[in-house]
Amino acid sequence: MEVKSAMTRARRGLREERRLYIVAVSSLAVAFLCLGATLLGVANLDAAADRWGQSGRITLFLKDDADPQDIAQLRVVLEGLSDVSEVAHVSPEQAKASFLEEADVGADLSGLPKEVFPASLEVTLVNGVTRERSESIATRLGQFRAVSDVESYRGWFEKLDHLLWGARMLAVGLALLVMFCVVAVIGNTIRLAVARRRQEIEVMKLCGATNGFVRGPFVLEGMFQGFASALLAVLALLVVYLSLHESIDSTLAALTGSRIIFLSTWTLLGLLAGGAIIGAVGSAVSVRRYLAV
Amino acid sequence: MQGTKVVRPFPFFRAGGRASQPQLAKPILVLEDVYKYFRPDQPTLRGVNLTVERGEFAFITGPSGAGKSTLLKLIYRELMVDEGRVLFCGRDIGRLTDKSIPFLRRNLGIVFQDFRIIDHWTVFENIAVALEILSMPQRLIRARVAEALERVGLNGRGDEHTSNLSGGEKQRVAVARAIVPEPALILADEPTGNLDPHLAIDILTLFEEINATGTTVLFATHDHSLISKRDHRLIAIDEGRVVEAQQGLKHWPGSGIHTLVG
Repeated sequence: MEVKSAMTRARRGLREERRLYIVAVSSLAVAFLCLGATLLGVANLDAAADRWGQSGRITLFLKDDADPQDIAQLRVVLEGLSDVSEVAHVSPEQAKASFLEEADVGADLSGLPKEVFPASLEVTLVNGVTRERSESIATRLGQFRAVSDVESYRGWFEKLDHLLWGARMLAVGLALLVMFCVVAVIGNTIRLAVARRRQEIEVMKLCGATNGFVRGPFVLEGMFQGFASALLAVLALLVVYLSLHESIDSTLAALTGSRIIFLSTWTLLGLLAGGAIIGAVGSAVSVRRYLAV
Repeated sequence: MQGTKVVRPFPFFRAGGRASQPQLAKPILVLEDVYKYFRPDQPTLRGVNLTVERGEFAFITGPSGAGKSTLLKLIYRELMVDEGRVLFCGRDIGRLTDKSIPFLRRNLGIVFQDFRIIDHWTVFENIAVALEILSMPQRLIRARVAEALERVGLNGRGDEHTSNLSGGEKQRVAVARAIVPEPALILADEPTGNLDPHLAIDILTLFEEINATGTTVLFATHDHSLISKRDHRLIAIDEGRVVEAQQGLKHWPGSGIHTLVG
């Protein structure tokens, strides 16, 4: 009954202070939108890193004068490894053709000599091979006589790792900033609401209302503000995602072979629940501080 | 809604509520040698001794600033006594913790000169708030509010906004809010101060009708014309001390009452 009564009074409060709350919710939605956009970036980087990490590849560049027997022996060794799912020989002609097909630099590169493109063995690892294991295989394969160079894409993964770490830190920093904003904005909004409803509060206290009875609606109003802000931000993000993902996908898929993803259900629920909880906490703190009647 | 517990920690305080014999035997309110200081050298109340029996109607009078409101504030624990005790149904309310004060106030109905009703709420909402605090089911709240509105002469006007009401009607809403939880004691602090003489008599009559149902009423006023019309017990506060007459001005012990009340 008390919850129902608090909800009724909170609804009345939201109706009466709607202008104040619309301003607060709009400001907070922008903060949540920044956080949501960063989380979206992290989620996509994470997914890309995961995808590329799982479908590991090693390229063995062969010496120009490599003995075909050595190359054949190398293939046998590779195909015998349980971590290897496929081995493909790429001749200089095929490498050049593939490069010309994929490169889109706006210049005619067909005149490049085929010696620029060394022959290679493209080794596809089975799914689930860890990056460390992939590194260890690459190091051992580099010792074969026919191999001039090994590309395990380690540097690239390290850069991606750094990028991901930076993005995650940014997300954590933004999450803290948003938390602070929510507590501050909702705290001040509730403070204003308390000041405007001082007479109501006084009347309730004189009628025998407990502190919990008086605080209840304010906490619910703060909770609603936090939730509504997060929901608005999620909806805005979804609209942007739905309108842009096809065009981004076509570019991204050509470049990296991966597609853009939206925030997971758990992240969405976390954002909404987080908004509501922080809103409630900010409101409770504010009411406790300013409700000295 | 069945099974909803109505929080009323002192059920026997209610007018008509069941109380044990020892509890009924106690006066509803006792002030024992009460002092209240706002300035260390000049107490507002000095050594006040007062006993109010269950079902009494008493005027509290005295000039503005004499300490009438202070006395009432001590009873509903807006203020704390500096010396002495205030006993409500035998309980020393000075010893109540902050958390217990709301439960004391649930047994009091308080009416003010400035009405203290919320203008943007309806009449119903202004009265119902006193029952919502008690976690009463809505069905019961509706019935009790309708009954209270009838008692104060505002039958069927629950949906009106209080901003549209006259001063007298607003005070009736305030009275309805005070009586709707069926308190044991009503404290009226200058309830007719903002009303014209005709409406003042109406409001006084309303309080007398409430008193007739068994509710104890303490009616603070400095309006001499009002108290002269009735033979209720008169408690006058002069320079912080209490002077009493059991049956109105006619039985006033001295001649100085006209200097005390306007």
